[in-house]
Amino acid sequence: MSLFAPTRRSVLRCVAALAVTASWSAPALADETAETFMQGILDEAEPVLNASTKAEFYVGIEELVGTYVDMRRVGRFVLGQYARRMSDEQAAEYFPLFKRYATIIYQNTLEEYEGQRLVVTGSVDRSERDIIVNSKIVDPEPGDPFANAVIHWRVYRSRDGEMTVLDAGADNVWLAIEQRSQFTSLIANNGGGASGIDALIAELKTRVNK
Amino acid sequence: MRFTAIIAAFILPLGGLAHAQLTGAGEAEDVARELEAGTPEDGSADADPWEGFNRAMFELNDTVDGALFVPAAKAYRAVTHKKQRKGIRNFISNLRTPVTFANDILQGEFGRAGNTLGRFAVNSTIGFGGMGDPAERLGMDQHTEDFGQTLAVWGVPSGPYVVLPFFGPSTVRDGLGSAADLAADPAIWVRTEPARYFRYTRTGVGLLSAREPLIEPLADIKADSLDYYASIRSFYLQSRKREIANGRTSFEDLPDIGEFEEFDEFEDELE
Repeated sequence: MSLFAPTRRSVLRCVAALAVTASWSAPALADETAETFMQGILDEAEPVLNASTKAEFYVGIEELVGTYVDMRRVGRFVLGQYARRMSDEQAAEYFPLFKRYATIIYQNTLEEYEGQRLVVTGSVDRSERDIIVNSKIVDPEPGDPFANAVIHWRVYRSRDGEMTVLDAGADNVWLAIEQRSQFTSLIANNGGGASGIDALIAELKTRVNK
Repeated sequence: MRFTAIIAAFILPLGGLAHAQLTGAGEAEDVARELEAGTPEDGSADADPWEGFNRAMFELNDTVDGALFVPAAKAYRAVTHKKQRKGIRNFISNLRTPVTFANDILQGEFGRAGNTLGRFAVNSTIGFGGMGDPAERLGMDQHTEDFGQTLAVWGVPSGPYVVLPFFGPSTVRDGLGSAADLAADPAIWVRTEPARYFRYTRTGVGLLSAREPLIEPLADIKADSLDYYASIRSFYLQSRKREIANGRTSFEDLPDIGEFEEFDEFEDELE
């Protein structure tokens, strides 16, 4: 055997090295598992979006949001730098209120898509735990304002592989990012810190009890 | 066109940005990222150093909007049919095509400029002077450009967020851009009666036509928000960023929803 003949082991090593390089050099990849996960939710959402009564629609969205959206994580995100300043008592009051508020926003936002069916068109991973799944309306009516819109979902994968939804957006405008802008602004304008967080909690209370 | 260039030459030294150069189309994404460059790193709200002034202007605009524009837009809706309104919307946006075309060229986006020119030719002729949009069906999708976006592509920083009286949310750069676009409009410089009527009518109809489809969405946002001002600011900054990048925004510049390690710890605490 010649000195330079590739042995089986050296070939395997080369392939392994190449595979590692490839995975390092490709930052944004599609994530099929996340796409399948999201399409499953959209399929479940279809009868809800086509519900015959408003009440059915609202209850349906609430259930879907309750099952798939990680409200604890989003609730913490929208507090921005104030998340660390929240006391345990405030947190105990804030998180259930935020969940209620964010659910109402999902209900009102998804009302725009009533009667529609959404289908996943692709995905981009920001990291292996943070994936953007894109979707669009199937056969929109001509003139529908969302006919060409890309509807995004931000899917989070936990350490043990479990997936949840963190945010929803259309054409690069995201709900949680907008909520963070409002919440941090409200806290800052009410003295920041503990008093600001109290003001936010009070405001959320009046919203969800409307 | 010429006015745009003159004003551009005038604005750039003002910002100390004489070195700003025409960059290739592919770099628009990097430019878009800079809109958020003013955002504090710690993940707090959008940077807004003129918040006090802006809130006052926002209040003023909201009052004028509620007292004048919303009732006018409702009246407009009452006296027109949906199809007519669509025709008017197409007509107004067709009139804007020269501005888009000029800015496509200034941005070095020649493919998009060709598309804009093609749309104008098709819609102005077989589209009944712009009332219809047959170009869309021919696969020429509409896009708009303005001088603010051109400045962004040239590397001019956005400057702080600013709410202009009557003109609404903007940034320093985009406000200057709007002024340049206004000055680049031939109808501004023609001092005849018909030109004046044309200007007033176009502005008035343009306002109604733009406000009418937003009656419900804006009312909903207002009803749902804890802070209407901050809500509109975020929507404006987010969507503006995408426009500048001509829809090619990557998702890399989104804020992380939680640093994962920190959240993992947080979850461990809960368990």
